[in-house]
This record gives sequence, structure tokens and C-alpha cells, in this order.
Amino acid sequence: MTEALRLDAVSFRYPRDGLGVGPVSLALPAGEALLLAEASGGGKSTLARLACGLIPHLYHGELRGEALLFGQPISRQPLWAISERAGLVFQNPAMQMLTTSVEDEIIFGLENLGLSPAEVRRRLEAALQCLGLEPLRQRGPQTLSGGEQQKLALACALARRPDLLVLDEPLSMLDSTAARDLVGHLRELQAAGQTLLICEHRREFLADLPGLRTARLANGGAARPTAPAPDPGSAAGPLAAAEAFSLTVQSLTARRGGRAILRDLEFTLAAGQLVAVLGRNGTGKTTLLRALAGLQPAEGRLAVQSAAGETAPRFSLVFQNPDLQLFQASVRAEILFRLPQPDLAWYEWLLNHLGLKRYEEAPPLLLSEGEKRRVALATALMRQAPHGVLLDEPSLGQDAHHKAVLLRTLRQLTHAGRLVIMATHDLELAAQADMLLVLGANGLVAHGRPAELMAEAALWPRAGLWLPDWAWPAAETRPC
Amino acid sequence: MLKLRWPARPPSAGKSHRGETRWFTQRLVETSPLRAADPRTKLALALGASLAVMLPLPRLGLFLAGYVLLVAWARLLPEVGRHLWRARWVLGLLFVVDFWLVGPELALTISLRVALLTGVFALFFSTTTPRELGLALEALRLPYRYAFSLTLALASLSLLEEEWQAIREAQAARGVQPGRGLRELWRQAGDLVAFTVPAIVLTTRRAWNATEAAYARGFDSPHRRPYQSLRLSRLDYALLGVCGAGLAVLFWGGRFLP
Repeated sequence: MTEALRLDAVSFRYPRDGLGVGPVSLALPAGEALLLAEASGGGKSTLARLACGLIPHLYHGELRGEALLFGQPISRQPLWAISERAGLVFQNPAMQMLTTSVEDEIIFGLENLGLSPAEVRRRLEAALQCLGLEPLRQRGPQTLSGGEQQKLALACALARRPDLLVLDEPLSMLDSTAARDLVGHLRELQAAGQTLLICEHRREFLADLPGLRTARLANGGAARPTAPAPDPGSAAGPLAAAEAFSLTVQSLTARRGGRAILRDLEFTLAAGQLVAVLGRNGTGKTTLLRALAGLQPAEGRLAVQSAAGETAPRFSLVFQNPDLQLFQASVRAEILFRLPQPDLAWYEWLLNHLGLKRYEEAPPLLLSEGEKRRVALATALMRQAPHGVLLDEPSLGQDAHHKAVLLRTLRQLTHAGRLVIMATHDLELAAQADMLLVLGANGLVAHGRPAELMAEAALWPRAGLWLPDWAWPAAETRPC
Repeated sequence: MLKLRWPARPPSAGKSHRGETRWFTQRLVETSPLRAADPRTKLALALGASLAVMLPLPRLGLFLAGYVLLVAWARLLPEVGRHLWRARWVLGLLFVVDFWLVGPELALTISLRVALLTGVFALFFSTTTPRELGLALEALRLPYRYAFSLTLALASLSLLEEEWQAIREAQAARGVQPGRGLRELWRQAGDLVAFTVPAIVLTTRRAWNATEAAYARGFDSPHRRPYQSLRLSRLDYALLGVCGAGLAVLFWGGRFLP
């Protein structure tokens, strides 16, 4: 059988920091599907770039071993020729859009194949139809939801009809419904004989892809060491207990660009709770966090009641993109930025617990994505906002180990009487919260304890969310 | 029928989109008759208007009158008005400074020239997509890779605006707020780092991601064949003729004009 991709003891090191992947050996026969499952920073994206020729043609570093694409050495073919045989869908679809309409985005890749206008038209229509993008054809890619953008990215790659399709964490930014839809398309492609190489943390979504093989990178693959497990002795945490309070949200309505994103939200949360906000892309999860942080003008009432009386809520907010917040020359300076009397015991605990001690003097912007996220979390926690912390997609791109570290850290806050609210697509993480807020297109669909909500079969379709079996291991009923 | 030779769109295509198309901080006005004009024509009109700023005040006034008629015909008065409103402080400042330093005539001339250039900018970018601009630049013999890079950069400007806002929010969440007053000048200078470093990082990352995405779809292919091509229509000839004749009269009209 023809081999779509063959790697023989291939290793690659980026010149900047010497990190990379390998040595890795693997063979992917044409027509098969392979899942690369590896820890955060384990080199999955590097391997995806290698399979598509971006390494070594765009990324210059130290490449060893032999990488063959359909029997031809990748390093000796021009990049445009490789791109005709291997298509790549990146992790963040919003960052790979090049034009101002869905049609133009697909046409861009087809023009580069040198096709006649009639053939471009045929393939454009086929790609739009295949992925259900026809109603969106004139829309600007940046105005689409995350799920729609990822479908468009897939359509752009598929329209070029590559022999090998490489997907680099295609599900990481999608809600469960969009992720299920995308996997449905992958299943159809697989049935049609498309060769697939998928790098993905959210493996559970891919479980029903028939014949999907899973591979782990040889030698652990990870060139970057993963964070050490927290010292059990320090697990208690030095955070002082806060006085009891409750957060009341009444008739909360927020608009962006004249459109109501949040409508009449009503709920009450108690201190010491870990709360997960669930909902499809675009239902206002981030807007709710911004409103709670005082960054989003909103109508309605937001108040914290305690023995001292009623005050405005005061939370720290950790953004989805850590690059928005980090700018200092060292992790230490970043975390202690403008804190006149920092709690150094808490600082040390955070460094140790989040696996950042070894990077204390390193520039935050040179760390991996996962590490940057943990630095951004540490900067927010270090400020010890009186009511707690808000997190936007904290588990994005994090493997199980780092998710466990995150959860333990958040539990420290709740044990100290703080309120932790996180917006997430990660149903596994949400299942471990004390309280769920489920948002739909018309506002709050439900709120309550996970165990109660999971039993409500009608709830999840109302929120437009697909609830897979594995998300709720203790569930007796399966709504969808 | 002489028109832009776009391959026919199926009936389902149209203005069913929720999100408006924006680029170069500009909204695309699909209803304008100038949308049907060749982008090269619009570039030529823009160039002509740029030359007109050299006219003396009375003739500049005449040109502006013709230009306003063109804008009204193109249904772009609100769009151009919006742009002029954004530039009101610059225009006002120019007028006041020139009035104070030299006199009312120069103040009016300079202000009208800047207003004209602002309006030309709005007229072009309200009716031309990045793809059309790229085709026009290619037709003017600019290599594809530069034409594409230029249009991509222009199309990304509105995204940069959004990112800057996101950075401001993210830093505000950390307690970094733009200060006010001279006493906070030193602190403001320090805070500038908090805004500029993320801005540089995000811009660099966006540029790199776009590069990766473009090359992953065969950006450097020697076989590239444009899907659309440009052709001048009657509308283009009419616009070029009227504007060219108008400019010629204004520049060389001699004693028949003020």
C-alpha cells in the first residue's frame, strides 16, 4: 500500500530555543486515519507543520532524519508542490483567514492550483455544499462563529483536494455541537478514502471515527519538560480565607454593536463555588465575564452581598489569549507587576503549584502557550481580588495533567472562600464544577448543580449543545 | 455588455449576510453604482482628485462641487460624511493654525485639500474589495506577492483596531489604565510598554499565521491563475472621460474660468 507519510527518525529543533520534536518514526498508509496524541508542548504542531512542508521551508531549524510525503522527500520539494498533496487546517481558524469573504477564502487556494475559472467555480460550490457554508458565502470570515470558521478552514483545505489532510487541534476552540459536526465531516471524508493525520487533545470526540489509529511520539516526544506535579506538602496553600458573600445578578443585559448578547440574566452564586459557564460559540460567555469584571457596559444589577453590606463585584479576569496581558521581561516581574506589598508566600506557592518556578527569570513571551496561560493565571491570582477570579477558556490547549493542576489551583481559591467562574467548552472540566450556568441564544437556559442539570434531557438541545456520553460518566440518562 | 467580468454568481448569493464586510476600517457599500466600476478606474479617479488639490481656491471649489455630485450619484454621501466627521479635529486645527499664521484664503484652501483627500480615500475603499484592489495592482504590473501582501495588510487594519481594544481591556483587568495629567506622565510612559508589547506580539503573530496559512495553500505556486479578470466597461469610460475632461478644463481652462 502507498505510504502517504513516512518519518524515519525525524527530529526538528527550532533555532530560538532548541525545542522541537523527535526523533520520531511513523508510517501513515494512504487512506488511513492517524491520531497523534501527546501532552501539551509534545511537538504535535511541529509534526503537523513538518507533514505539510512548512518545516523546513518556512521554519528554519535543525532537521534530521528522513521525511517522505508519498515517497518524495519533503525537504527537496518546493512548498507549493507539497501544499498540493498535503492540506493543513490550523488550530486557530480566525488567525488563518486571508480574505474578506467566505467565497474568496476558498477561491484563494484554488487559484494557486492554476485551475480554470469553471473548475474553480465547480470546486467552490462543492466545498460550500459539502460543509453547509452556502448561506454564509458572502460573509466576512471574521464575522463567523468559531465553528463556522473551522468549517471554512476545512473547506479551504478540502477544495484543493489534497491526498493527505493534516488537522492541528481542529476541535480545541469549538463547542461540543460544532466539534461533533466537524467530526461528522471527518467521518465522511474517512469513508471516502481521505488520508487523515489529526493532532488533538480532545480525543474523546474522535472515538467513533472508524479505524482511527492512535500514535504517541517516540521518546516521549516532548522536547519541553512538562510541569512537575505539585508538592503535596504545599497543597494547603497560604491564601487567607475570605468572608462569606454572595453574588447577585439581576436582569443583566449586555449589547455589543447594537445587538443584545446577554438578555435578562438572573442568578445568584455563593462564595466558595467553582462555576462553569457553558454555551455555544457566540452565546455571550466571554461577555458575561467581561460584565462581571466591569469591562462590559451592561444594564441590570450586579452586586455582592456580605456582612459588610452591598458592594460592586471585584474579580480578576484571565483572558483567553495570554498575549494580551503579558509584557514584562521576566515571569517574576510579570506576576509581581505593580504590587507594592506582594504576598511572597502566595507568590512562591503559585510558582511551585503552576510549574513556573524554573521559568521565574525567563521572559514570559518566550514560553509555550500552555506556560503563558499559567503565567497569566498567576498574575491574576497574585492580585488576590477580594471576590475571586474569572477565567475565559482556561483549559484551551491543555492536556489532562495541566488541567488537573489548573483544577487543583482553582480549588485552593474556592476553599479560601473565593468565587471562581470559568467560561469553557470543556465538558469534562465543567463536570467537575459545583455549579453550571448554561447559556443559550436567548439568555440563561438553566443553572444548577452538574448532577441535576445532566439529568434534564430537554435542557441541552435547548442550549444547542450536544452532550456526549463520556462528558458525564456518572449520568444515568443520556439526553442526546 | 461591458462590465467587470466576474463569473456569474448563483441566485443564492447576495446580501444574506449578518456581518458587514469591513476592511481598512471601512464598510463596503454594496448598493453604490461605483461598485460596478473597474478598480483601476477608481484608482485613476483617486489620482485625479489628488492632482486637483494643486488647483487654486476658486477652481478647487469647482472641482469639489463636481466631486460632491459624483459622491451623491455614487450614494456615498453618508460614508464620506462619516469620514470627514472623523477628521473634523484635524481639519479644524489646520484651518485655525493657517488662519492665524497666514490668512483665511490659505486656511480654506488647505482645509479643502485635506477634506478632498479624505473623501477620495472613503470613496475608493467603500466601493472596492481587497481582491479587486489586488487585481488592479496586478494589472498595474505590481508582482502578485506584493499586491496580495498589501491588500492583506490593509484588510487587517480593522482587526488591529479590535485587538488594540482587547489589549486595553486586558491591561485594565490588571490595573493598567491610561493615566491623565502631567503628574502621571512618567507612569503613562511606563504603561505604554504594557500596551505596545502585546500589540507588537499580536501583530507579529497575526502576520506569521497569515504567512503560514497562505503558503499552506500554495501562495508561492508558479501555476497561479486568477479566477477573476478586469475589463473596462462603458461606465468606466464615462467616468474617466468626464473626470479627465473636467480636470483638463480646470487646469488649462485659461481665462474662461475664475
